[in-house]
Amino acid sequence: MSNLKVNVAGVEFKNPIITASGTFGFGREYSQYYDLSVLGGISTKGMTLAEKAGNPTPRITEIKSGMINCVGLQNPGVDYFLKEHLPWLKTVDTKVIANVAGSTIEDYIKMCEKVSVDGVDMVELNISCPNVKAGGASLGVDPKNVEEVTRAVRDVCKKPLMVKLTPNVANIADNARAAEAGGADAVSLINTLSGLVVNYKTKRPILSNNHGGISGPCCKPVALKMVWDCYNAIKIPVVGMGGIMTYTDVLEFMICGASAVQVGAANVFNPMASYDIVKDLERYVKEQDLDINDLVGSLIANGGGQCGTTCG
Amino acid sequence: MKRDRIVTILSNVEVAKDIYELKLQVIDFPCDIRGGQFIHIALPSEVHLLRRPFCIADFDKKEKTITVSYAIVGEGTQLLSTLKEGQTLKALFPLGNGFYFDKSVKKVAMVGGGMGVAVLPAIPTADPDLQYVSFLGFANKNKVIFVDELKKKGEVYIATDDGSVGVKGFVTSLLKQSLDYVKPDVIVCCGPEVMYKALKKEMEGIDIPIYVSLERRMGCGIGACLVCNCKVKTANGEKYLRACADGPIFNLEDIVL
Repeated sequence: MSNLKVNVAGVEFKNPIITASGTFGFGREYSQYYDLSVLGGISTKGMTLAEKAGNPTPRITEIKSGMINCVGLQNPGVDYFLKEHLPWLKTVDTKVIANVAGSTIEDYIKMCEKVSVDGVDMVELNISCPNVKAGGASLGVDPKNVEEVTRAVRDVCKKPLMVKLTPNVANIADNARAAEAGGADAVSLINTLSGLVVNYKTKRPILSNNHGGISGPCCKPVALKMVWDCYNAIKIPVVGMGGIMTYTDVLEFMICGASAVQVGAANVFNPMASYDIVKDLERYVKEQDLDINDLVGSLIANGGGQCGTTCG
Repeated sequence: MKRDRIVTILSNVEVAKDIYELKLQVIDFPCDIRGGQFIHIALPSEVHLLRRPFCIADFDKKEKTITVSYAIVGEGTQLLSTLKEGQTLKALFPLGNGFYFDKSVKKVAMVGGGMGVAVLPAIPTADPDLQYVSFLGFANKNKVIFVDELKKKGEVYIATDDGSVGVKGFVTSLLKQSLDYVKPDVIVCCGPEVMYKALKKEMEGIDIPIYVSLERRMGCGIGACLVCNCKVKTANGEKYLRACADGPIFNLEDIVL
C-alpha cells in the first residue's frame, strides 16, 4: 500500500512536505494560489519577542542556480503572530511549526513558552542568528552552546522541539549530537550557507549586510551530505532541506536519512512549487506502490576510498 | 485562486539602444489590470531561478496581449533578449497595487525618467473625463521609448541630458516650469530614486499629490519573502513595507528616500 504519511517526533504529517521558514511568511500570500491543506506542514517565518524591522535593502540577489538573502529576521513579533496569524492557520488542515529566534537564551525560553499553545504542533528553534552574549556569534556554531540552549528551553517547550542547524560549522554531526543531548526531539537542516556576492565594478558587496545566506539548488549536494552525516550520528529524526525543487529531490533527501523535508527557496522562485511537489510525490508513491517511510536512510553507500572528503 | 500563467512571446525586439520591447500573448487574460502593476516573469533557465519583475508597460484586453519593456542590465535580461517568438514563459500577473485616481481627478501629469517611462502607457484608462500629459526624461535620443504611444494619450514634453531631443535638462525641472500651464490634479512618476529626490525638492510647498513607483530587487513577488522592502513613514514611525504587495506605488510624501 502506498503511503505518504510520516511521523516526526510524534507529530503526524499527511505528507513529508513542509514549507521552510522565511520563504512562506505565515502562509496567507500562498493561500491565494492554492489550498494550503495539501501541505504536510508549514514552518512559520522566524519570530522574535519584539517586532523586528530587518536589514536595509538590497536584501536579495541571484547567484547561479540559487539566491542569497539578508532579510535580517524581519517579523511582526510573536504576540502579533499569536493574535493575527495563528487563529487563521488553525483553520488550515496542516501542521503548524512555530519557528522561534532570539538574541539571548532567555529570549528563547520566553519564546518557547509563548508558542506552546493550541494550534502550534511543533517548535523549531532557529539558533543561527547572532547572539548578543556570544559577541554576535550564533548559538548554533559551538556544540556546547547548541546543547545549552536546547536544554534551557526543553522543559518550558510543551511541544515537540526541533532544532534547526546551521551548516556553517566545523562538523554538523557534532551539533546534531549536541541538540540530541540537550533534549531535542528532532533536528532540521540545513539553514542557509554563508556567502558573499561582489560587484567587481563598484568593489562593493551587493547585499546591504555585506554577507548573506545562500539557498536554492546550488546547495543541494552540501545539504544531502550533511543530512546523511546527521542521520548516522543521532537517533532522533532529521528533517532535511537545502535546494529542494522537485519530488525527486525529496526522494534523495529521504534516502539520505530525512524523515520529512522542507521546501524553501523553491517557493520564492515559484509560488506553486510546494503544491507541485506534493502532487508529483502522490503520483510517484502510487505508481511505485511505495511507503515513503521505507526510503528513509536507504542510501546504499559505495565501498569507496579511505581518503578525506577533499580528495580529487 | 490566483495562478501562474503561461504566456507566449509574440515579439521581442530592440527598440532603442539595449532596450527591448517584449509583447506577450495571454490565453487566460486577467479581468483587471491597472497601470503601475507588474508582471513577474520566470526565465527558461535552471541557472537564473529568481523571477524578473517588469512593469506592465501596456496591455490590450481585446487582443489579450501584455507589453513589457526592459533594458539589458544583467545576465537575466541578456538571456531574455535572446528569446524568440513562439517561446512560452511562466509569469505571475498582475501583481502590486497600481495607480488609482479618485473621482475628483481630471488631469494627470505622467512623469517618466529613462526606463521608468515604460510604466506610463498602461496608466490611461478608458474614462473620457480624464486627461493625461506626459513629461519624459531620457539620457539622449538613442534611449527614447514609448513617445508615439504616449502622444496618442495626450500632450508629450521631452527633456534629455544632452538636448538631442526636446529640451536640455532634467524632466523634473521641465515639469515644474509647466505646472501653471498644465495644472494637473495629480502627478504620477516612475524613474530612478535620484529623480524622486529631485522631484520632492522641486515640488516642495506645491499642493499636488505625487505617486511614485518604487523599484527593488524582488524575490517571490507576492509579499511573503520580505526582501523588496522600502521604508515608509506611518503614524507609528518609520516602517518597512513590501514593494511587491504593499506597492510598488507609494505616495512620495510617505517614502523615506
